[in-house]
Amino acid sequence: MHWLYLTVAIAFEIVVAIAAGKAAGFTNRKWTAITLASGATATYFLSRALLTFNVGVGYALWTSVAGVGITLLGALLFGQRLTWRKALGVAAVIAGVVGLQLSGAA
Amino acid sequence: MSSSNRSAANSWLMLLLAGAFEIVYALAVGGSHGFTVLTWSLLAVVFFLLTLWALSVALRTIDVGVGYAVWAGIGAVGAAALGPVFFDEGLTLVQSLWLGLIIIGVVWLKLADRLDTAEEPLDQLRHAQAVSA
Repeated sequence: MHWLYLTVAIAFEIVVAIAAGKAAGFTNRKWTAITLASGATATYFLSRALLTFNVGVGYALWTSVAGVGITLLGALLFGQRLTWRKALGVAAVIAGVVGLQLSGAA
Repeated sequence: MSSSNRSAANSWLMLLLAGAFEIVYALAVGGSHGFTVLTWSLLAVVFFLLTLWALSVALRTIDVGVGYAVWAGIGAVGAAALGPVFFDEGLTLVQSLWLGLIIIGVVWLKLADRLDTAEEPLDQLRHAQAVSA
């Protein structure tokens, strides 16, 4: 279950990143509301995931996989180029996640 | 000149503060035990708002990619370092190294955004057009 909770938390964190950009320094009321609601939902599911994960491990997984998701969605949906620099970051995060899992921390 | 230096220094101070708030937020979310422990839960809510506020103020002057990289890095390193202090948890050396790779990866990813943007203004323009279309 903890991976499912983490996945839901990550999905909402990706929404936070997109909404926070559109909230324009929290001057746009609608996007500010979406940012806060998504952030609260992400926080709740993160707290469920952290019942099993270590705080340090769970938090890092959450924020970094969300970062990878934002980069990949940007490339797939918003026509941003997946440059070699970004691909390197994505690879490092994925390698770290797999390594953590294999070493029994996740 | 000196006033713009001061405001830049204030922005970086605000960014460091946002990073510190993010560490407290991460620890409080963990300590809330699925929002069943009142004190930690309240702390999580307060610092959730504080970290968002401080980050948004800092990003008024600091570049978004750089700002996010520093903020995410401080939060992740801080949570990993202080988690074992507050809770009954620990990592082996190998696990810490993998965790380090993840954190370096996400900080790099946010910085890459900045570097790519600086290098490819045309791409950004096309992106802006695609989004607004």
